[in-house]
Amino acid sequence: MIGTNETTTRRLAAFSLLFFSLLSFAAAQPTLRVSAQDYEDYSRVIVTFPSSLPITLEKDGNLLLVRISSTSPFRLRTEPVKSRFIKSFSWVTSGDLYIIVIEVRHERFRQDSFQIEKKRQLVIDFYELAEPPAGEAVGLEAPQVPPELEKKEEPPSAVEVTPPPVEGSSAAAKGIRTIVIDPGHGGLEVGAKGKFGTLEKDITLAISLRLKALIEKNLAFHVELTRDRDIDVTLENRAAIANNHRAELFISVHANSSYRRNANGSETFFLSLNATDEEARRLAYLENNSADFDKPLATENKDDIMMILWDMAQSAYLKQSQRLAEIIQDELNSLLGTKDRGIKQAPFKVLTGVACPAVLVESAFISNPEEERDLVQEAFQENVAQAIYRGLVRYIRLLS
Amino acid sequence: MKKRSITPAQWTLFGLSLIVVLVLAAILIRGEGGEKVKSAVVMSPAESPPEPAPAREAKTVSLFFLSEDDSLLHPEQREILAGPSIVEEAEQAVEELIRGSDKGYISPLPPETKLRQLFITKDGVAYVDLSREIMEKHPSGSSAELATVYSIVNTLVYNFKPIKKVFILVEGSEKETLGGHINLSQPFVPLYSLNAQ
Repeated sequence: MIGTNETTTRRLAAFSLLFFSLLSFAAAQPTLRVSAQDYEDYSRVIVTFPSSLPITLEKDGNLLLVRISSTSPFRLRTEPVKSRFIKSFSWVTSGDLYIIVIEVRHERFRQDSFQIEKKRQLVIDFYELAEPPAGEAVGLEAPQVPPELEKKEEPPSAVEVTPPPVEGSSAAAKGIRTIVIDPGHGGLEVGAKGKFGTLEKDITLAISLRLKALIEKNLAFHVELTRDRDIDVTLENRAAIANNHRAELFISVHANSSYRRNANGSETFFLSLNATDEEARRLAYLENNSADFDKPLATENKDDIMMILWDMAQSAYLKQSQRLAEIIQDELNSLLGTKDRGIKQAPFKVLTGVACPAVLVESAFISNPEEERDLVQEAFQENVAQAIYRGLVRYIRLLS
Repeated sequence: MKKRSITPAQWTLFGLSLIVVLVLAAILIRGEGGEKVKSAVVMSPAESPPEPAPAREAKTVSLFFLSEDDSLLHPEQREILAGPSIVEEAEQAVEELIRGSDKGYISPLPPETKLRQLFITKDGVAYVDLSREIMEKHPSGSSAELATVYSIVNTLVYNFKPIKKVFILVEGSEKETLGGHINLSQPFVPLYSLNAQ
């Protein structure tokens, strides 16, 4: 027998894996395996199916969705993703539909896929595209196709998905078409209350209406408000309004409140990545390391899958959200004369489902009597609107 | 190529890894119901997990309160009764957070709030079920909600190793937010950037 040059570590790792497999249910359920490996100029993902199953591929931003239809349940096993280009694997399922979500580091990629029937394998090669996107056929080597290749599948590309506003100059030339402004709270949900009786919901609406007017007066963009009067709108609906209007930027306007009487200043939030991941992980069994699941998590309906995909989409926009937050915060600092509390990440409910760069502006503290007095003044409200507006202009200019 | 045999050093490593795996498995199995997990973790790996101690000794935990000077959470040492389980220790920690600071810090939990129940799942999520006052008496506002959520989350995860995440329930059910800002429909991982130091 010829021994291989296995290292001790590998042997131990294999042993541990074996041990844990024994610990888990030994039931021989069909298993779907996903693994990634880097090659010189591309990263290859191999999906090994338990049986021949119909699949379709769909690109969505930086995600590639592998849709599988299977009437018999199977479990998923992935290897730890150690790839310079592939970020993670996760999956969601609803009834007979299984979706494997391959998260790529950024959306500038082209994929080539083929199936190896004998091995029941789907091979997907991911090629990184230069910036700006060079188009499918330009400047890239053809993939190295193994001889056993039997069938080549052209993945349909998604048309229904809102593209992120920028990457190349051509996309930027088209510009940002719809901006959704979200006046925080409303109706019975008053938000924070000031010592003199000021309600957060009134301040946020006043600032938002001014911001809308500024944008529509000076920029050729459509502004959609999540509410234009004192009514209740659920947090989920606010995100839905943004997505339904294909919003390309989402600005939620708020006034802050703290237990600390003297808390003061302005800050701009964007969604915390950690929290997004956690949410997706809980719902979708998102997994980045080697583990397997005895049965897929059954989601009740398609909405869950959409929510998960939105969450993941939002996490893809985090960098842009952060940039937008930085610029708006910079303008707040120069226009308001309030304390600079900087930009922060936090798991805001309203930002969770929004599929575009999204920020939440905390103009000032309604819980601080001095700032409460500022917040009710029209001049101050106009300054907040001006600051956000200038931030938007700078951000948009940055893209073109 | 020659046939390779396993050297004694490799066998030793092999054996050690087996012990580690067994101890880990023991911890995982005992982790169900949250019984004595902490003790099992700090025990030397060679010993078997201990029986619950009959006498309850004192144990010091760090509670994270809000300071009037900055928007950060500051630790305050507090003695609680040790054991008999992590669940009971975690319950005391949350109740002490509600009771408030002895050093003039602010508790971002309304004093009327009651801890209804606390349980820890085997995958390390502590479910903290609070009474309605946590919402009704809450001032709302992003900073206030962040302080409330993370004083609980950071305190529990900082002090109790088996707790990795915290899910906050109100009156036994999942709520969207406390006052329209921070998302409660997910388990929280700690946000130590809100802690002082």
